[in-house]
Amino acid sequence: MNAADYIVLVGALLGIAAYGMWRTRGSCDLNTYLKGASGTHWLAIGLSVMATQASAITFLSTPGQGYESGLGFVQNYFGAPFALIIVAAVFLPIYRRLNVYTAYEYLGHRFDTKTRLLGAGLFLLQRGLGAGITIYAPAIVLSTVMGWRLDATIVCSGLVVVLYTVTGGSAAVTLTQKYQIGVIFAGMVAAFFVLVAKLPAGLTLTDTLTLAGGFHKLEAVDFSLDVDRRYTIWSGLLGGLFLALSYFGTDQSQVQRYLSGGSLRESRLGLMFNAVFKIPMQFFILLLGVLVFVFYQFERPPVYFNRAAWNYQAEHGGAGRLRALEAEFAQAHSDERLKLQDWLGARHAGDRAAAAAAFAASEAAHERGDVARAATRAALGSSGPRTTANDSDYVFITFILDYLPHGLIGLLVTAFFAAALSSKSGELNALGSTTTVDLYRHIIRREATDAHYVAASKWFTAFWGLVAIGFALFANLVENLIQAVNILGSIFYGVVLGLFLSAFFLKRVGGTAVFWAALAAQGLVFSLYAVLSISYLWYNLIGCAACVALSLVLQAAIDLAGSADEAPAKP
Amino acid sequence: MKSPGDDENTGLPFLRTWRRVYLVVAAIFAVWVGLLAALTRMFS
Repeated sequence: MNAADYIVLVGALLGIAAYGMWRTRGSCDLNTYLKGASGTHWLAIGLSVMATQASAITFLSTPGQGYESGLGFVQNYFGAPFALIIVAAVFLPIYRRLNVYTAYEYLGHRFDTKTRLLGAGLFLLQRGLGAGITIYAPAIVLSTVMGWRLDATIVCSGLVVVLYTVTGGSAAVTLTQKYQIGVIFAGMVAAFFVLVAKLPAGLTLTDTLTLAGGFHKLEAVDFSLDVDRRYTIWSGLLGGLFLALSYFGTDQSQVQRYLSGGSLRESRLGLMFNAVFKIPMQFFILLLGVLVFVFYQFERPPVYFNRAAWNYQAEHGGAGRLRALEAEFAQAHSDERLKLQDWLGARHAGDRAAAAAAFAASEAAHERGDVARAATRAALGSSGPRTTANDSDYVFITFILDYLPHGLIGLLVTAFFAAALSSKSGELNALGSTTTVDLYRHIIRREATDAHYVAASKWFTAFWGLVAIGFALFANLVENLIQAVNILGSIFYGVVLGLFLSAFFLKRVGGTAVFWAALAAQGLVFSLYAVLSISYLWYNLIGCAACVALSLVLQAAIDLAGSADEAPAKP
Repeated sequence: MKSPGDDENTGLPFLRTWRRVYLVVAAIFAVWVGLLAALTRMFS
């Protein structure tokens, strides 16, 4: 990066943050601080929901996913439109009718205080521990490729987001997210056009798609019923529906975004905006990765995209082996490129047989290259520093730094940081609000002025921001942390969704039954996690199903025992 | 303060009820899946 890139980066990030702080200065009304300006337009809500979900790692990693595995990952989002429709039709009207600040307040209305505190506590535990990752994950990738200090990257980006989130609250989050996502989209579209312009002359759109398809990168929809396949339309529809429902319906970082609408209509339209555009957005980001793949068939990529890890290992005794593998990869890539040029010539000449033969030869050379890459990956392992992140996370940023002009590099790096700040601000805002509304105002200080609660919310937001920064700094010392936090989220998410589904759909179930059912379900999930080795995603389903089923059983037992302290469900 | 009637009004031309909005969103989803399936079939 040169001076122009740094001007774009610092100017855009600080400019957006400063503008957000200035526009929302002096607000001491609790409603505005926690929910945002009452007249928030549906498009701002829609962009805010989108920006909160899409973190920096989405834009760094997803193109890498497209590069490695093609478009199949898009199926993960197939359940999201239906989840958003359910949230808009069922969850949202209830939240708005009760005029709640947090989703967990609803649990208090529907059940009792202990269930509300359980829901809020599970959210704070899960999101609070995971908060550091939103800062850490992009910081480790960007600091590695840029040569920046990791701790300085974490602290600087963390403090900026804490500053404007504390100052302006929900209104500042929604306002800044609108501009941040604008920067993100501008960066992604610019990268797309540069990529297309840099593809070899003579390679038409059909050639590009045929080449990508020939390497199995365009298999976007898989109707297979094989449960061992990671991405199919069925796992996307069922698993994706389940995950999106828990995330959009019960996670305060999302609930707070769409409750900021001035009316039910604005909130619903904001959710429908995401229901329509979520899949095309993910498709476009994956397509960027596929185009990077096509580009690198004609320009030699590094054998291992995380060059810092490669250089470290080369300097610590592994140079001979790594350079031999690099030479093998270079030879394979050279052969592949020649065969692809033959394929292109034969294809344009209409010689199908020659085209097929040349493409088959290029595939064979590509496989040799893949063998060299796999051997390099195995040789590097996790022996060096900063090798815990997947190599595919470095694909897109490597392309950006190597092939984009200065200024645009700054724009893309700004886009990654904007994504980190936008998702982080939504999370911090939710953590501060939940701590204030569900714990402080409900338990510690019930009667106080709005100004007092706004001040308390600012302190709690700052506290969670510092926790996130501290956790991100500590994360540097722990291996496989990203996976650990994902596991942590899945362990709690299912039970929280179970609480809400019981509240919405099991009208006869009361607070005592659902509270103990949730605790038992959580215990069951912990136990199963200790003894089973299944994919952690299944714990979302197990936790939810156990919570709902145990609620019914316990309520039946309570009814049978003729307990008098269980009030029927409120309408 | 808005009346409940305002919330029922989608404010969208041709899509006066939320049920229709949801159906259109589901239809757009179906179109997307159809296009992606066609892309898969054409280039695999």
